[in-house]
Amino acid sequence: MPGQPQAAPVKGFFTDTTLCIGCKACEVACKQWNQLPDDGFLFTGMSYDNTAHLGASTWRHVAFIERPAPLHPQNEGAFSWLFSSDVCKHCARAGCLEACPTGAIIRTEFGSVYVQPDVCNGCGYCIVSCPFGVIDRREEDGRAWKCTLCYDRLRADMQPACAKSCPTESIQFGNLEDLRKQARERVEKLHSQGMREAYLYGESAASQPGTEGLHAFFLLVDKPEVYNLPPDPIVPTKTVKDAWTAMAAGALGIALAALGAAFFAHKNGAQS
Amino acid sequence: MSTVRYKTSPDPVSTDGRDIDRKIAELAGEAADQQASGAAGKHIEKQAGTWTQLPQPHAADPTYYDRPLLNESVWGWAIPTYYYVGGLAGASLALGAALELQHAAKFDRLIRRCHWIGFLGCCVSGALLVYDLGKPQRFLNMLRVFRPTSPMNVGAWILSGTSGASAAAFFFRQAGYAAGLFGMALATYTGVLVSNTAVPLWNASRKVLPVLFAASAVTSAGSLFELFDQDEDEARVTRAFGSVGKLAEIAASVIAEQHASQVARVGRPFQRGFSGFLWRTAAVLTAGSVVMNLLPRPTRGKRLASGILGTVGSLLMRFALEQAGNASARDPRASFHSQREPLAQ
Ligand code: SF4
Ligand code: SF4
Repeated sequence: MPGQPQAAPVKGFFTDTTLCIGCKACEVACKQWNQLPDDGFLFTGMSYDNTAHLGASTWRHVAFIERPAPLHPQNEGAFSWLFSSDVCKHCARAGCLEACPTGAIIRTEFGSVYVQPDVCNGCGYCIVSCPFGVIDRREEDGRAWKCTLCYDRLRADMQPACAKSCPTESIQFGNLEDLRKQARERVEKLHSQGMREAYLYGESAASQPGTEGLHAFFLLVDKPEVYNLPPDPIVPTKTVKDAWTAMAAGALGIALAALGAAFFAHKNGAQS
Repeated sequence: MSTVRYKTSPDPVSTDGRDIDRKIAELAGEAADQQASGAAGKHIEKQAGTWTQLPQPHAADPTYYDRPLLNESVWGWAIPTYYYVGGLAGASLALGAALELQHAAKFDRLIRRCHWIGFLGCCVSGALLVYDLGKPQRFLNMLRVFRPTSPMNVGAWILSGTSGASAAAFFFRQAGYAAGLFGMALATYTGVLVSNTAVPLWNASRKVLPVLFAASAVTSAGSLFELFDQDEDEARVTRAFGSVGKLAEIAASVIAEQHASQVARVGRPFQRGFSGFLWRTAAVLTAGSVVMNLLPRPTRGKRLASGILGTVGSLLMRFALEQAGNASARDPRASFHSQREPLAQ
């Protein structure tokens, strides 16, 4: 692609939700490193999750799922905990990037998706174009914000703050290719240990054709919906041809209506 | 910008929500210049809402505490209003160009009106769009790139082109033809803009929305002209133009609803709640308007009634669509079901 910086190996996250203990160190580390303001202190009543959702000032969000189903090796009978730290997926085909009319959203040399705050004019189109509900606009600020994959840290050869702070290595950062390999091995290991439910979410274009794969992918043990992840997301531009075709038909319709009305009135009207 | 917290404590603090002591720390992080008042994030609060009923775990059809999957659009009243005004301007310019082709002096006044409505519509459209931006002073950034994957970017160019051509038409009548062509694009690209989103209801009706927007634009133009003083020839043009638009608008809205309702959960906001109410009301008003057009023996009273009903109807349709889309974005099951039950086509 023209204008794209010379590619370093593509970087990404592998979030292994079976290792997450719900400590929210990633949420805190992200807020601190990026100097994000709070977004209000809300008591949601949803388990221990008072963060609720990713947004303009929340770039990591830990979901707490209290599930009325058993999970090996949690010995809680018909109950199990699931935790998952959600983040921008840095999609290979990113809805936000393709929708942005100002070119504020770019693909960096690390393959991540980055919003340039000095360009964004806050039109809000990216917000409705992200199939994961990640990017959002802060009202007082007027611009759209999301995870930067710690672009500043990557430039300084450091790993993102969330991965650095994760005490269980539930969040792993690295070269996407290596992460994919590790993740597949991890799934095999879990399967051999009896956790047959384990699978990878969005690790490749083959498993998630709608986004052509995520640069931040997940290991899950239940349906994606349980974690508030879409089961089969599709970047809107994959189907937009239908709408452009309909637009051509609509424009033609206007032309016919206008020509028809003018012609009809001219023929039937008083002579001039 | 900051607010004071812990007001009643002996040591109240003034914070912008970062709790960073500026005497010892420097603001240099990626989000350091994100403006924050320190007040609770209204958006998150609005999204989280209050439960009226505890969400029950549902093994076959799960959600995350019934919370939205998507972030709902942040567009305010200005955007659906713009769909209306842009459509009105575009369809007027198209009508102006078609009349020009007839080379009949009796249409001169109507053509001038078409150009005026087109030009003023473009000005109002620009103002509405700039007003809705989070950073209005940066509106020109829309034109710093050309990006065909973004219908909003394409639209910014279309609106610029239409404005220019409609202004030029005051000086050279030939420019009216160019304005007419641009106008057709202006009236329809907004349908592509809403279709090209992850919002389940908008995306599911993508094959119809641009046609619906085209029809509604013709309705808007036809109806507005009916409110002016018109001679018999002019009235004949606008009545024919408007009633075609109105019939097409009603048909397209029925088909759009059918497309969205192929997955029951996706089409629901068309039938229920506030958005459903607006959607039905819009259709009834438009139908009323076309009845006024088709009644025998046209009178001035019927013409005015038709103009008012058609104008309110098409404006309301834009708002209904906006509300319905937002409602479907708030419903996680709308996205989940539409992705689980891929349409058999
Ligand atoms: S998850 Fe959303 S915000 Fe992140 S890259 Fe993909 S489309 Fe953009
Ligand atoms: S809000 Fe900003 S980043 Fe998002 S699409 Fe608009 S200009 Fe691009």
